[in-house]
Amino acid sequence: MKNLLKTFLRNRKAAIGLSIVLIYVVIAIAAPLIAQYDPLGRVGRPHQAPSADHWLGTTRMGRDVFSQLIYGTRNSLMVGLLAGFIVTAIGTTIGITAAYFGGKVDDVLNFMTNVVLVLPQLPLLLVLAAFLGQVSPLAIALIIGVTSWAWGARVTRAQALSLKTRDYIQASEMIGEPAWRMILVEMLPNLLSIIGFNFIGSVIFTIITQATLEFLGLGSPLTLSWGAMLYNAQNASAIIVGAWWEILAPCGAIVFIGIGLSLMNFGVDEIANPRMRSLGQVAKALKQERRLNRQRMQEAKQ
Amino acid sequence: MQFLLKRLAFYLVAFLVAATFNFVIPRMLPGNPADIMLANANAAMGPAAREALMATFGFVDAPLHEQYFSYLKSIFTWDFGVSVKFFPVPVTDMLMQALPWTLFLTGAALLVSFSVGTLLGILAAWRRGTMIDVIASPTALALQSIPSVVVALCGLYFLGVSNKIFPTSYAYDPKLDPAWSVEFISSVAYHGFLPVLTLSMVLVGGYLVTMRNNMIGQLGEDYISMGEAKGLSDARVRYTYAARNALLPSVTSLALSFGALFGGSLVTEVVFNYPGVGNLLYLGIVGRDFPLIQGQLLIMTLAMLIANFAVDLAYVFLDPRLKRA
Repeated sequence: MKNLLKTFLRNRKAAIGLSIVLIYVVIAIAAPLIAQYDPLGRVGRPHQAPSADHWLGTTRMGRDVFSQLIYGTRNSLMVGLLAGFIVTAIGTTIGITAAYFGGKVDDVLNFMTNVVLVLPQLPLLLVLAAFLGQVSPLAIALIIGVTSWAWGARVTRAQALSLKTRDYIQASEMIGEPAWRMILVEMLPNLLSIIGFNFIGSVIFTIITQATLEFLGLGSPLTLSWGAMLYNAQNASAIIVGAWWEILAPCGAIVFIGIGLSLMNFGVDEIANPRMRSLGQVAKALKQERRLNRQRMQEAKQ
Repeated sequence: MQFLLKRLAFYLVAFLVAATFNFVIPRMLPGNPADIMLANANAAMGPAAREALMATFGFVDAPLHEQYFSYLKSIFTWDFGVSVKFFPVPVTDMLMQALPWTLFLTGAALLVSFSVGTLLGILAAWRRGTMIDVIASPTALALQSIPSVVVALCGLYFLGVSNKIFPTSYAYDPKLDPAWSVEFISSVAYHGFLPVLTLSMVLVGGYLVTMRNNMIGQLGEDYISMGEAKGLSDARVRYTYAARNALLPSVTSLALSFGALFGGSLVTEVVFNYPGVGNLLYLGIVGRDFPLIQGQLLIMTLAMLIANFAVDLAYVFLDPRLKRA
């Protein structure tokens, strides 16, 4: 475990990504200490531009945008992590089960996965959310969680299938290890990178989707979240009246955490597929090769 | 041929799943599902119209499986009910009027983002480690994690409101009448520019990264060295050797991106007040117009499935092994 963390942090992208995400986690935990105002209270005049009193200005309701943003971090991170966990759990279970048992089980599970993959997800979520009414963030996490596992299941299954042909797996099977041991002890540890990739990707997806659903008016406008901020800003025609801070603040928060998480994922991918580990090292190697070639050419000419 | 027939059967099942979803969800909620669906009915809707609408959605006095078949029958006869908010306009009429705009938006964005992303991906893989790769690949990945809501809102603010370069709403100048004239078409292009740009920005990263990774895989193959050893030009090895083979998995990921494409277009239309399915849907959500919301799921599913089928056709063309099978 320690080794894994070390390899992860040695990758520069992963380390930067992790620090960005950790900043968000600290902000979420320390929200009451950072925010100066009650995020839902009327603490200023409506639509004031950013100033020393209100770092990111105020909304039409006279609420402090900075405080809302800080408290919104809690919500988005919690929903992201919860849904990410559900997505990964379902996807990994279905993927490994399908790959390990093969045959009819695989046929059924794979068919299910493929059907879910061709259904348009946002419209589906919209129908679900619309019937549930203005839903709480917890409900949003749940509905995103149970509808978004298909991609992870597909990737995990592909990876597990290729694992299954390895010698050590077949050897363990010969010894007569029970199925649960085969899956949990032999296969799962070797799928960690794909599971991690899936988890981080799902967290990004959830944060994006939550903001989208809430922006479309399917969350409760009283929630403190980045999506609800966007919805309220849109309703207050913030863009048209020039209150850019009300829109750009939550946008920035979403973009920044998305970049942090995707850097982490880039790192996971590079660690898992050394072939992708290109940018810096390969550049150096290529430059050197070119220089060598030029030298040789010149020597040949002389 | 058998491959395509198999795919068609698969799509039929997928469509049935979407329809079943529509059927089951209202019935799983506490309370009377018909009352929930029609709660926001327009005052103009009389009892007879109400009865008819309920029958369309399978709320008939019969056992559940008969209700289900009655609902399926309405769907397969292209009857998605009438809008309760804009009574008595049929949902299919509203959706079919909006659909061309959505298809225009998604089609243009797909064309732009797939060609730009794939080309940049080829170059990034070919010149691995040089400027283009070091800048384009991480940027692409970062772009991928930015939601279309954010891109659209920022585009609207920076290019539509604070610098009035592009219009902020409608698909064309409302003063014009739709016609095949230069004036009208340029107005459509002008109004469509920002939405298409927004949508392409969100998608381009995924195509770039996929193509780059596939290309890198192909570049290590023996036939590439063979091509180079034969003295073929770089461009020829790059495009007709490596890229051609790398394109196949890219087309698979193209099909997987349709969800993001259609989802993104729904959001983009709302932000730019573009008269497509997404904007209609927004009205439906605001007014809790359930027949409309359910209808958009069916229409979007249909669009997704047709797009997927088009990819299957492209696959047969790109991978001759499938033709023989």
